Amino acid sequence: MSDRALADAPTELPPSEWGRRSAAPPATPWIFAAIVVLLVAGRFVLTPLLAFPSLQTWATIFVAISVQALPFLVFGVLLSAAITAFVPASFWTRALPRHPYAAVPVAGAAGAVLPGCECASVPVASGLMSRGVTPAAALAFLLASPAINPVVVVATAVAFPGQPMMAVARFAASLIVAVLVGWLWLRFGRSTWLRVPTRTAAAGSKWEAFREAAQHDLLHAGGFLVVGGMTAATLNVVVPRSWLTTVADVPLLSIVVLALLAVLLSICSEADAFVAASLTAFSPTARLAFLVVGPMVDLKLIALQIGTFGRAFAARFVPLTFILAVLVSMAVGGVLL
Amino acid sequence: MNRMSQSLVMVFLGGAVLRITVFSTTYLNYVKPGFRPFLIAAGAVVLALGVIGLIQEWRKPYLTGPDHHPDGGHSEHGGHDEHGKHGGHDHSHGPRVAWLLCLPVFAIFLIAPPALGAFAARSEEPPPRPPISAETYSALAGDTVTAMPIGEFIGRAWADSTYSLTGKRVRLTGFVVPSAKKNRWYVTRIQMNCCAADGIPLKVAVLKAARPPVDTWVEVTGTWVRPKSDRIPNGMVAPELVATDVTEIPQPVEPYE
Repeated sequence: MSDRALADAPTELPPSEWGRRSAAPPATPWIFAAIVVLLVAGRFVLTPLLAFPSLQTWATIFVAISVQALPFLVFGVLLSAAITAFVPASFWTRALPRHPYAAVPVAGAAGAVLPGCECASVPVASGLMSRGVTPAAALAFLLASPAINPVVVVATAVAFPGQPMMAVARFAASLIVAVLVGWLWLRFGRSTWLRVPTRTAAAGSKWEAFREAAQHDLLHAGGFLVVGGMTAATLNVVVPRSWLTTVADVPLLSIVVLALLAVLLSICSEADAFVAASLTAFSPTARLAFLVVGPMVDLKLIALQIGTFGRAFAARFVPLTFILAVLVSMAVGGVLL
Repeated sequence: MNRMSQSLVMVFLGGAVLRITVFSTTYLNYVKPGFRPFLIAAGAVVLALGVIGLIQEWRKPYLTGPDHHPDGGHSEHGGHDEHGKHGGHDHSHGPRVAWLLCLPVFAIFLIAPPALGAFAARSEEPPPRPPISAETYSALAGDTVTAMPIGEFIGRAWADSTYSLTGKRVRLTGFVVPSAKKNRWYVTRIQMNCCAADGIPLKVAVLKAARPPVDTWVEVTGTWVRPKSDRIPNGMVAPELVATDVTEIPQPVEPYE
């Protein structure tokens, strides 16, 4: 694969070649035709050879994470592309408070209206930044929206029958973390850490700009989603869950362990409440930490953030979010649960 | 990654998603049934974006003559310009990462991952205790066999104060998982809430029946064994069932509970 990419590189570089048919090397269709033959023939030849239970279990979980995240990713990418192509930049300066410190909580609370999971929020936040929204406000939106939207709140309430405070605590803790991270980023963050996607509106029609943005974001974010999905599937198969129950009785450690589990499992925020509900050996506060950390920090999300905003950003943003999410969960859990 | 490759990868990805949703029920191995319309919509969008890209790629030499070249070239290749800039910050994350989108396609077609089975449920640990549901369980028929989900059986065995299972014959459907203990095996079903990554194996120990081959789907008819002591906390051991009849069946269309 890297050979292919290297072979492509020279043909992409000279601008004089662009717009002509030669921009696509004639080999490309043939390589893809070979792949199609491989897929069709491999179905009969290779599939029986690949029937190890461990590999199949890994592949099932990997495909499940990828397939399950795809609709949300497509939704987020289309919304982001629509923001870029159709919403004028002036809209956001009018919609959000002028003062950045006031814009952060407003953007965080606005996350309540975007139904979706964390895969959708990364491209949308990136689209918001490229349209001139203060990065800290877009980040607050990024963190809040997967955890506080109506679908997730209802799912949490359903998963914890008779414990309505769990949904309330999740909503409160997630919003508090999002706003705190936004403010901290505003106060201490440097613009050089964050690779704000500079997407100037293309010269062509708006629909062409929309398609360009959607295709680019989908391929880019989708590639990183696959990285996250592979990592999560590997850990899911390799790490036995029985390791967890041994620490369930240790008060502080159990909270940290469930928070780490949320990072490793990378479960969609619309489903994680059901998993949290099944972890009955743990205290409510530890399960709250699982629910607050999961939508904000997990492996597929980290991969998406590295891909979208750069490594320097993720190296600072991810630990900050994780620590604040654990601390706020402990505080909110202590008060409400 | 050139534009034709980008479009072709999207065609493959969209095609693979439509292949497992529209033309088969394979998607039920990975996600809940209710997810189908969303998957079809997403697959169609990805496929359409790829096809439109391909059509434009083929028509380009005829659309953009030499006069229009600078404008056309710029707008068409906005994505690449952007990546040129990104390259200044970070060389490792070009659009090459999009090649990885081929991996789910390969996995779907070549490995053809089946529903989670005995390997995923291999741990000897009992399933996590299901949350106590607010619903009260109805009484079971006295003389006929009642078919019920394994989740309901475990719920009745663990959380039902009226012991409605006592002496009643029930039928459970699941696949066979071996046990390290002697004279028993587990009839198992994976409970899934959203996708296979959050699957939780629900196991019921089957006593007094020969074990069919691992991963065979079976219908087990039998009677619950009430634990000798109520002092064992729920969730420490799987509920037990004395089998009177074990029938092998084909895998259900919906493999999860």
